[in-house]
Amino acid sequence: MARRSIWNGTITFGLVNVPIKLYSATESKTVHFNEVHAKDEARIEHRRICSKEGKEVPYEQVVKGYEVEPDRYVVLEKDEIKAAAGDRGKVVHLIEFVGAGEIDPVFYERTYYVGSRDDAKPYRLLHEALRRTGRAGVGRFTFHDREYLVAVRALDDVLVLHTLRFHDEVVSGDDLEIDAGGKKPSKREVEMADKLVETLYEHFDPESYEDTYREAVLDLIKRKAKGEEIDLTEQEEPDQGDDLAAALEASL
Amino acid sequence: MARALWSGSLSFGLVNVPVQLFTAARDLDYHFNELHEKDKARIEQRRFCSDEDIEVMWEEVARSFDLDGKQVMVTDEELASVQPRKTRTIDIEAFVDLEDVDPIYFDHPYFLVPAGESEGTQRAYRLLVETMSRSGRVALGRFVMRTKEYLAALRVRDGALSLTTMLFHDEVRPTSLVPTGGRTPGKKEVESAVALIEELATDWKPERYEDCYRERLRRVIDDKRKRRKIEAPEPEKQPAPAPDLMAALERTLKNARAGRDIRTQEDGGNGELEELSREELTERAKKEGIRGQTKMSKEELVEALSERD
Repeated sequence: MARRSIWNGTITFGLVNVPIKLYSATESKTVHFNEVHAKDEARIEHRRICSKEGKEVPYEQVVKGYEVEPDRYVVLEKDEIKAAAGDRGKVVHLIEFVGAGEIDPVFYERTYYVGSRDDAKPYRLLHEALRRTGRAGVGRFTFHDREYLVAVRALDDVLVLHTLRFHDEVVSGDDLEIDAGGKKPSKREVEMADKLVETLYEHFDPESYEDTYREAVLDLIKRKAKGEEIDLTEQEEPDQGDDLAAALEASL
Repeated sequence: MARALWSGSLSFGLVNVPVQLFTAARDLDYHFNELHEKDKARIEQRRFCSDEDIEVMWEEVARSFDLDGKQVMVTDEELASVQPRKTRTIDIEAFVDLEDVDPIYFDHPYFLVPAGESEGTQRAYRLLVETMSRSGRVALGRFVMRTKEYLAALRVRDGALSLTTMLFHDEVRPTSLVPTGGRTPGKKEVESAVALIEELATDWKPERYEDCYRERLRRVIDDKRKRRKIEAPEPEKQPAPAPDLMAALERTLKNARAGRDIRTQEDGGNGELEELSREELTERAKKEGIRGQTKMSKEELVEALSERD
């Protein structure tokens, strides 16, 4: 299967320019359903209706508006929205390098694989230098007229580009109202909990986690297609234990 | 505080802690509404039956799956019947090392907050926070939210339990089809590139990076509102690969050590100005005390700045 790239551009670090292509690194496998009319099983269409006239509006007559106050919009043309994209175009300048492990998982948004566009050395050079230093290059990336903060690092034999959330898009724990008062867990409880963590410790192997629900839904669809009757009894909830120490002991 | 997206219990061995799930990501984007050009009225998306051409209410909509061209209708009740037994439970299955989980797997961040005032709940929550922050490990568990099962990584962040949903292994594509360049660089080139990266190394401080796009979009909206002219900047041209890789590395390293812009081509020359973005130029102009810098075009900025040197 030939892989289709989604973006062509250049990554730079200093005066070294690396011609690259980007590929999606992930794909959702969630089971997607179509909406149908229950009565006749015909597909549902979403149509754009003018809320004032109650009539369908062809796409060419649709504009984008930003609501500045209730029911007052500033209408922007597509080119005007594009003007916010900035002037980086197809270039990602890596301006500084951070420890790849320092970036907290909450910042990671989407991942793309970075492919090389030629057979020259720069791609392998950047890969090797990032691999050796364990660092990620930070820069900005413009995609579909929008600019993202990105980190580029080495993964196995390829370079990957992660889009990152901005600091103000991440909620801090201080914003939560968690009651810190009350009785502390006892020494014995803490020790037992520690032991439980050790008992359940393992090396992370992504392949040992299957999406069992997805499989169950696909299985349901197949059974339904064969005209099978589906048992509708739902499964029960577990009981709530209230003696913390006894529960921990029993778990061990 | 925002509304809980899910509530249930976190199960650690036989200990169950009632918890609520809150998002840990804020949407700060400017969102646009679709309007009818003619009368600036809001566009509504309504559902129509493609067969009968009449509007269909939400209650009359069913789900259908395309199984190799055959339409299979599935009801909510049928879907609920195959949900895992512990629908309202996040079951901790294992503890792993954070560095073993590649960031590629992380999807959406959330916080888990103890639900209810009961002392037992608070205590069990604190026990988990304490134990997990000490072990430095990540707990893996799964739960079901809105008809989808999630694999999740739980850790302690800012004294609270943080939950990040993860992709399943088959949702991460193999890297084998990605072209990874050609010739292997020489030892000297690699050493020079490593030195350069170390020269440009810094701590990860997320506050240092602002969302300039959001800010520019805000300005565009503001300009339009005040009927000012909106001009798109000229996008930067893609630079051609450096003819001499080693010379490019050495030049960059020299620039980095001298605290110059790393893409400067010549000593003390102004050739690099052309390569900077308008924002970077505006920033420099501000430092140099050039007036009216925000209203200048890119060319004007380059000219004004080169006169200063």
